[in-house]
Amino acid sequence: MTFLIISQILNGLGLGMLYALVGVGLTLILGVLNIPNFAHGVLYALGAYLAFTIANVTGSFYFAMFLSPLLVVLVGFILESQGVRRLYHAHHDYQLLFLFACALIIQEIIIIIWGPIGFSLLAPPSLSGAVDLGFLIYPKYRLVLICFAFFMIVCLYLFLTKTNLGAILRAGIENRDMVKVLGINVNVVFLYTFGLGAYLAGLAGALSAPIMGLTPSMGLDILPICFVVVVVAGLGSIPGAIIAGILIGLSQGAATIWFPEATNVVIYVMMGLTIIFRPQGLFGVR
Amino acid sequence: MKNKYSFIALIIFLFVGPFLFPNATITEMLIFGIVAISTNIMLGYTGMLSFGQALFFGTSAYISGLMLLGGFPLFLAIPIATLGSFVISLFIGYFCVKREGLYFICLTFAFNQMFYFIAYVWTEVTGGEDGLVGVERPAYIDTQLTFYIFTAVMFLFAVIALYKIVTSPLGLIFKLIRENASRAEAIGYNVRFYKLISFSIASTFTGLAGSLYVLIHSMVPIDQIHWLKSGDIIFMTLFGGVGSFLGPLIGVVGYIWLSDTFSIIWARWPLIMGVIFAIVVLYFRGGVSELLENLFKKYKSISRKTEHEQDIKNTKLN
Repeated sequence: MTFLIISQILNGLGLGMLYALVGVGLTLILGVLNIPNFAHGVLYALGAYLAFTIANVTGSFYFAMFLSPLLVVLVGFILESQGVRRLYHAHHDYQLLFLFACALIIQEIIIIIWGPIGFSLLAPPSLSGAVDLGFLIYPKYRLVLICFAFFMIVCLYLFLTKTNLGAILRAGIENRDMVKVLGINVNVVFLYTFGLGAYLAGLAGALSAPIMGLTPSMGLDILPICFVVVVVAGLGSIPGAIIAGILIGLSQGAATIWFPEATNVVIYVMMGLTIIFRPQGLFGVR
Repeated sequence: MKNKYSFIALIIFLFVGPFLFPNATITEMLIFGIVAISTNIMLGYTGMLSFGQALFFGTSAYISGLMLLGGFPLFLAIPIATLGSFVISLFIGYFCVKREGLYFICLTFAFNQMFYFIAYVWTEVTGGEDGLVGVERPAYIDTQLTFYIFTAVMFLFAVIALYKIVTSPLGLIFKLIRENASRAEAIGYNVRFYKLISFSIASTFTGLAGSLYVLIHSMVPIDQIHWLKSGDIIFMTLFGGVGSFLGPLIGVVGYIWLSDTFSIIWARWPLIMGVIFAIVVLYFRGGVSELLENLFKKYKSISRKTEHEQDIKNTKLN
């Protein structure tokens, strides 16, 4: 039983790391650009599918993990510069609808290119198999995933706190108008932010592919989870999004042990508890 | 005056509609007409964007479907399902209206998906992924004609009720909140309370529509409660135009007609709908009703101009 619990907790941690990555991406876009990115889920799916194709064509799993998020960034740049940019002054209704439309379009393009049937992307031989941790035998890829995602989160944290651009992004979340007043070209900042958000979504998608497989609906399924991460974290809080993502993953892992049917509902139970006891979110200010 | 004309147009549409569209399509249009017009109370009049209206539509459809399956009569199933979505809307609205803007969107969206998963997991009751099947229409509305008349009467009832709300002082308060919420607070209105009222009016009527929806295809597919449906509802409302009371209905007719047409031609029809959504948002933000209004104005100003020119000519001649 303890083995089961520990391995489920590790599974939950891995999931949580992925949720944290997508959740932070969404938080950045929500916070800096002040738009609800409904295309975030399909960017995640796109990352996974591109990684699948690149890995199959080039034969290199690592190259796929490197390239596919960058291609997703390219898609993000196109979305931002061609559509979202025109809508900054419009109401949330229209931003939402535009991104919803983009989500539908990309979703259908994925089905047209890759077909409605799911795939699985196998981890390379160097990462497959299991590791004996002494007290538990655990799949190697999942372990690497946890470490790598943790590494990425640390990198992101350093980027946001130690670099100039990171400081601008954080300032943008705090007070967008003030950033404009200080003479910073917000258009460029918005473009980079959207790109960074898209990168995190694409990366999480690519990383998730060997664990969860690829299905055309994966983008539609992850999106509500991203939004729950944001709600639990409190709008615009990046450390909050990381912790909320990990918490949600862990609770899902725990639910798999005791209530296997409720793994998807437990996410919303978490959200419900949060808004009852702390309506501003765990790390929300207001 | 303008409203009088649009109501006459509505009555004409109710009579002509069944000849233009197949029975299932026109009844679906009327049912989603209720949804869009009531959503507009919240979206257009009060200025609140909820991304979770499918929650109320679907839940109410499940309740009325289950009651009909359980042998309850229709005239009991519809009010109880509507009441059900009213109660749920008060509960969810209580938490959601505390927050504004993006947070409100996130919350309603997440609640929507919460109910979706409950419907998905609770297979014994809701039928899970297959949806709730085998609901039968009562004998007295079983023919196409009687079913249409029944839907049309319910539709008219809902539209008149919503119109009364919009033109009442309550409707003015909603507009006040949209224009300037802090002013409304300063005058002494409890903004949260009125937002909750607006939210639950929209949700209750959406629920009413949901309870009627079961009757069209004798089933509740699970995607009626999925968040994609909420997106469709928002689109229908905006596509028609939130500037006028009956505008959203134009959006519904357009949306359902387009999706029906495209879904026959190509299995990947949501792609085309997505492109249309994007074009509407980028170029025709006011929706169809504003487009028509602008064309009408342009036509008027052209005819006025020619009149004016003729006047000038006449004076010159004299």
